[in-house]
Amino acid sequence: MTATAAPARRAHPSPVRKRAARVTRTGFVAALPFLAPALAAYAVFVVGPMVESIRLSFFEWSGFQGAPQEFVGIRNYVRIFTQDPVFWTAFSNTLVWVVLSLFIPLGLGLVMALALNRPLFGRNAFRSIFYIPGVLAPIAIANMWRWMYNPNYGVGQTLADLLNAPWLGEIQWLGDKNLALYSIFAAFVWQIAGTNMVLFLAGLQGVTPEHIEAAKLDGANAWQVFRNVTWPALRPTTVVVLVLTIINSIKVFDLIVGMTGGGPAQQTQVLALWSFQQSFGNHEYGMGNAIATVLLVVTLVIVVPYMVWTARQEKNS
Amino acid sequence: MTRTAIKTGAILAASIVLAGTAACSSGGDAAGRTEVTWFKLNETAETANAAITTIVDDFEAANPDIVVKVEERAVDAHKDALRTTLGTSGAPDIFFSWAGPGLGGEFIEAGASLDLEPYYEEYGWADRFSDTTLSTVTQYGGYDGVPYTQRTEAVFYNKELFAQAGIDAPPATYDELVEDAQKLADAGIIPIEFGGTVNWHVMRLLDSLLETECGEDGYQALVTKEASWADEDCVTATFEEFATWTSDYLNPGFVSINNDEASALFYSGEAAMALEGDWFNQAIRDNGMDESTVGLFAFPTGSGRIYGFNENNYISANSEHPDEAARFLDYLTGEEAQQTFIAAFGSRSVNTAVQSEGQSELDAAWTPIAENATGVYMNNDQNLSLAETTEYWRIQNLVATGDLDPADAGAEFQQFIDQQ
Repeated sequence: MTATAAPARRAHPSPVRKRAARVTRTGFVAALPFLAPALAAYAVFVVGPMVESIRLSFFEWSGFQGAPQEFVGIRNYVRIFTQDPVFWTAFSNTLVWVVLSLFIPLGLGLVMALALNRPLFGRNAFRSIFYIPGVLAPIAIANMWRWMYNPNYGVGQTLADLLNAPWLGEIQWLGDKNLALYSIFAAFVWQIAGTNMVLFLAGLQGVTPEHIEAAKLDGANAWQVFRNVTWPALRPTTVVVLVLTIINSIKVFDLIVGMTGGGPAQQTQVLALWSFQQSFGNHEYGMGNAIATVLLVVTLVIVVPYMVWTARQEKNS
Repeated sequence: MTRTAIKTGAILAASIVLAGTAACSSGGDAAGRTEVTWFKLNETAETANAAITTIVDDFEAANPDIVVKVEERAVDAHKDALRTTLGTSGAPDIFFSWAGPGLGGEFIEAGASLDLEPYYEEYGWADRFSDTTLSTVTQYGGYDGVPYTQRTEAVFYNKELFAQAGIDAPPATYDELVEDAQKLADAGIIPIEFGGTVNWHVMRLLDSLLETECGEDGYQALVTKEASWADEDCVTATFEEFATWTSDYLNPGFVSINNDEASALFYSGEAAMALEGDWFNQAIRDNGMDESTVGLFAFPTGSGRIYGFNENNYISANSEHPDEAARFLDYLTGEEAQQTFIAAFGSRSVNTAVQSEGQSELDAAWTPIAENATGVYMNNDQNLSLAETTEYWRIQNLVATGDLDPADAGAEFQQFIDQQ
């Protein structure tokens, strides 16, 4: 009996054993010592603060060391959703920013990459010029664009004088609540399009000339070559650019601080900045962390399904 | 040999680490002096910053065992620094703050300030300051902070631009002020400049209009929430006046520039008036403006009170060097340092024994304004809590940009107060 039972157990190992065997087979155990330092740092500097932030969103706290933290349940969430006069403006501005980011800087980056992937006089110079804004500090970019938009000494005023078009000088780029967000977004496009271009250029290096040549020999026109050869090859790069763009646009902060501080009348406010201002400006740490938690959920809702879908597409192809 | 070398290296490394730790924990410099850190504002006028450097140097010369490390920041950066460091190990030994319950009060309530009663007894500070100034220190029940300045704010005007617009004397009433603003606008001159990205700058106009329309009792009842902003007719009148000023008399595009950019319009002779404090005297000189062309008048609210606020220096509750910090504050408010201080700051000294000498005409113009005032109405970012101030500014800007009916502004603000 014993002799026959043993082979049966080997033939049908338990799920735990199967999982353990898979872990060993994939080399996870061997990799663990190498992963451990990074995992520890990730746990301490990313996961820990994230969990603490979520915890604080259920408390009322002024943020001062020693000040009591009072548990208030979901009251902070009720306040931001129903009473906070700025939250929904910040929320919709954040969404507008994300949607615009998915089209304008991403599309521009792709177009620039395609243009500068061809043999072209001064190609490297153009690549550098387009990329330079990406390495500048966002707050420096904010200062520069704020001066350009200055109603008294800015570009608008200069153009108005040059072209004898006074209406140009009267545009309140950062003072008009209907225009201010888009004026800041223009600076964001200027800052990030070059970075997207570099990423797409890297992806384009994976498209071999032989594939393109073969497609052309089969009679494909330029659009068909792009649609059926270049674009599929760029899919992994596009995922990276898309995810980075979404994350960068959701957490946009420095440019708005530097250009309007969220004004006029909080009309350019976004969730990341409003979370900061509630915590550090108004000393409402519970409210600030509730907004940060909402921001986290929004990010996960947008990014995770897209990454899962893309991973499945990759696997299927 | 190798093992010995490793041991020696380890001992050396440990010694260096320990020495570094010891140096850090004692807050001293290489010369063994005690380091006292002081977070303060970067003053508008460079001369005022230079005066602080002189005072610190003189103090260090007289107290060779102490070194004062000054960290200066712009207004909003300073507020952020206080909010992020107070109560933590990164807190300075001394911090500057506005003394009103809204701005400085939150720090005191949070326990960030050391009760200085023993030092008031040791140095006899209670006799050094006036009762009014001292009341900003004792308003929370203890002795929080040492008076630094008593600021008064009024309207600076360009005499030449006034003359160009046919105005021969500064306005004595609010109606005259509006008439003068209209004359200036008709003459193609910007009547008054403000920078809107720093909300507290335009707030000065709104506060002064509130004092004008509601009077002393009404203003105080509103800021202490004894009266409802939704029910008082004077609140609507205030916002209506404010909307008129922002649409007709302020510099175009004021919403998108800051106070420094706005002040440049006054220095360059493009704007005729500026609602500023006594610190602006030195800024006018430092920016090359001929001060003989500049006059001064109190905002004609009709209440008799002057616009202003107090600023104090506080010792952090967790300072490791409160004795040395107190010694510096004693020097800073002493007669010798105060003479240097008021010469550059253009303000009256908080030390009652110190009198201004050899003042310019512009500096001297503050004395009758202060002496004729029956009281002080304080800036509302000092009266209101931080969250209320943020909302007050939002509503102020909505009215300023024409996105909120002035008739709804009071009710909107009261709704926020009620939800707190």
